[in-house]
Amino acid sequence: MAFSNPNITATSIEATELMDLSRRFRVTGVPKTVVNDSIEIVGALPEPDFIEMALQSPDGPKG
Amino acid sequence: MGLLSASDEAVLRQHLAAIDTPVSLLLFTQTIGGSESGPVAKQVLDEIAALNDKITVVEKNFVLDTGDRTTYGVEREPSIVVLRNGEDTRMRFLGAPTGYEFVPLVEAVLLAGTGKVELEPESEQKLAAVTTPTNIKVFSTPT
Repeated sequence: MAFSNPNITATSIEATELMDLSRRFRVTGVPKTVVNDSIEIVGALPEPDFIEMALQSPDGPKG
Repeated sequence: MGLLSASDEAVLRQHLAAIDTPVSLLLFTQTIGGSESGPVAKQVLDEIAALNDKITVVEKNFVLDTGDRTTYGVEREPSIVVLRNGEDTRMRFLGAPTGYEFVPLVEAVLLAGTGKVELEPESEQKLAAVTTPTNIKVFSTPT
């Protein structure tokens, strides 16, 4: 995703090594994805579902 | 003693053979007072780089290389920044990329070295519409 859009940065984090980040983002199972420190996705999803969840507005669906 | 077996090396060498563009892996570590996983991260990167002459590892000092830290937004060590022909791909790795992080690292290197995005066209369309800074963190573990 990061490679496709210059507005996106993707960081892979080793959860057992960076425990402070794991605690901050309440990582209790992996993989866990956190988008803009707000949208959380636990587990692996099919690509379309992952993209939709990752790019959703943190305020929730509009309308 | 290497982290990769001879058979693993052979498989990876073939997998990475498609790389046609230089890939630089910037590794930020702190020798004194830093994380113990810094040397492990270096060993992982060195073994990957040995599989293709277009992959290079560039060591950066987390304490002294403040300019590069600012340029790439590096706040922790060890951190890996993936460059394609000298340009930031915006792909980062925090911590030693062993275990489950290893495959994403290899795929990131392959992506940077080939430029071939393997997303569905619909996904690429949605990504193209992102106009605000978006940070994606993916947590994984070694085992």
